[in-house]
Amino acid sequence: MSNPLADMEKPDVIFCIGTNMTEAHPVAATRLKKALARGAKMIVADPRRIRLAEMADLYLPIRVGSDTALLLGMAHVIVREGLADLEFIATRTEGYDKLVDHLQEKTPEWAASITGVPAARIEEAAILYGSSDRAAIFYTLGITEHICGVENVQSLCNLALLTGNFGREGTGVNPMRGQNNIQGAGDSGALPNNYAGFQPVDDAANQAKFEKAYGRRVDLEKGITKVTALEQCGDRIFGMLIDGENTVVSDPDQEHCIHALKSLEHLVVIDIFLTETAELADVVLPAASWAETDGHFVNTERRIQRVRKAVDSPGEARPDWWIIGQIARRMGMSGFDYDSPVPIFNELCALSPIYNGIDWDLAESGQYQWPIPYRGHPGTPRLHEDAFINGRGKFSFTDYRDPAETIDEDYPLWLTTGRRLESYHTRTQTGRSEGINELLPEETLEVHPGDAARYGLRDGGWARMSSRRGAVDVRVQTTRRSPQGTVFASFSFADVPINVLTGSGYDPITHTAELKVCPVHVEPIAEKAQLAAD
Amino acid sequence: MNATTSDIQTTRTICGYCGVGCSLDLVTRDNRIIAVHPAFDGPANEGALCVKGQFAYDYVHHPDRLSHPLVRDGEGRLRQASWEEALDRAAQGFMDVLQKHGRHAVYGVASGRTPSEANYMMQKFIRVGFGTNYIDNCSRA
Ligand code: SF4
Repeated sequence: MSNPLADMEKPDVIFCIGTNMTEAHPVAATRLKKALARGAKMIVADPRRIRLAEMADLYLPIRVGSDTALLLGMAHVIVREGLADLEFIATRTEGYDKLVDHLQEKTPEWAASITGVPAARIEEAAILYGSSDRAAIFYTLGITEHICGVENVQSLCNLALLTGNFGREGTGVNPMRGQNNIQGAGDSGALPNNYAGFQPVDDAANQAKFEKAYGRRVDLEKGITKVTALEQCGDRIFGMLIDGENTVVSDPDQEHCIHALKSLEHLVVIDIFLTETAELADVVLPAASWAETDGHFVNTERRIQRVRKAVDSPGEARPDWWIIGQIARRMGMSGFDYDSPVPIFNELCALSPIYNGIDWDLAESGQYQWPIPYRGHPGTPRLHEDAFINGRGKFSFTDYRDPAETIDEDYPLWLTTGRRLESYHTRTQTGRSEGINELLPEETLEVHPGDAARYGLRDGGWARMSSRRGAVDVRVQTTRRSPQGTVFASFSFADVPINVLTGSGYDPITHTAELKVCPVHVEPIAEKAQLAAD
Repeated sequence: MNATTSDIQTTRTICGYCGVGCSLDLVTRDNRIIAVHPAFDGPANEGALCVKGQFAYDYVHHPDRLSHPLVRDGEGRLRQASWEEALDRAAQGFMDVLQKHGRHAVYGVASGRTPSEANYMMQKFIRVGFGTNYIDNCSRA
């Protein structure tokens, strides 16, 4: 997030797009409710009439995968209506004139033809967002899990740059991170393009810096992404170390993924349960859970917070850092003689300019949001206050692209996927919590009553849903939360593996999978075909 | 049971479920979590917790938890092993792949759920061990 969570109570106008915040980030949603109670206005763009949409002043029911078109249309209106912040644009940005040309054709009528939202509503949204003093954007995977994920984010940044909504209280472009330490994983350098602290690997100075620190020269070329690595299994990739990730259930195109992992010569999985992924491994190493280890999580507002061990691990389970260090030492690597997480974190801080100002002891308080460039620096709750990291904010010249697959006669419905409040990702954790299982015992397919009638589906009955990659059986729930022509399911249940269906394409830049959109066909069936193993 | 208050311990930590990062206190007795209390001075949550943070912790003590290393035997089944054996197998396997197929044949997948220290170790393992940037985390899928 460019702004701190506390800022969520401060905007005059809130624009939520592709985020089911009341379910995925409920505590953050509470802050938005405080802003609304104060009189803030809210725009919500989402294909589904989610709870957040019910709370909105203006709801834009966009067709799945059409976000970029909506955002370009809004930018067009902001420029046309003279709502652009010309002083901010002159002092803080570059590329405005070119953007104005680029937006010429992106009229609200053009956007309406793609999104299915009337042009007048798009104009209304643009004017509401563009004329407020403090407007903040919030988004999640509904924006990034598309083949056009990068364009979507760039288009959101365009809106904020056009209207000067960066670097001030109650503004910004704010991704809400799904998993608890996704931010920290990136910060720590678990990326193919960056060392720790987002230092690019293809910069020779960084290569030299880490060669000195690690005693090993690392390629100047970026690594491949996980998606590419899975494609290359058995072909160029033959060994894999997977830590705490149930790849088989969480990744798109499950068949392909299982096949890929099976074709490895050596797979080592570190996890707390024998997950579907661990079952494919040659070696499974039992890890300490979250309550059994010391370390740090970095939250969505870049706040570095201490996690503390409260109980002992079962049996011989050990912390991940210890396990990885032991494998490294047995392979003869030097620099892995850690006896606790403390020196590991201190090494991360010393090597990362954004963490340079802290160490294990200073991080104790949880008060620091990075960047903390030097000792004594208070941390940075709000990014871009006086300048953007690379100087000026650059406008992007994005364009709308169709999803990798679009609906046709054989696959006439859009399937979109997401999370539910009571479950978490692949449910290796929540699926084993009694109380939570009672709240949400079974996955359902949410279908508009009109579509149910059209395809002969019954509320509470079974449906077989197929895509170009596979089929799953799932119980039907009719609801007006789904618009006509779009059905919804989450990817949380291994016995209804929705990701058998998805995986039609990837964003060419980030390689984020297009999990949010997939054309499907549904038909009624009498019974679920294969009952779950238990 | 006549537990005294001195048997009960409280540990301040961070919720392990989503990126909001709510602060909470784990209340434990006899090495088991018995309750979760929201932290009113938690900077991200100021005393709030959602249903996951508040209640979804009993997986920690679930009987399915892995408690021993496992290695695949000659018949293709996973069997219990000592740490010594399992770590040797893990290390030897990577060395074999390295020797047979080169540096760019090993890949690391880190987690968006484990602490930063685990992520840092994963990337260091790949970069120091193989001199490549063949490392990613699960944020893409
Ligand atoms: S309590 Fe709920 S909102 Fe807070 S971090 Fe945990 S999952 Fe997220």
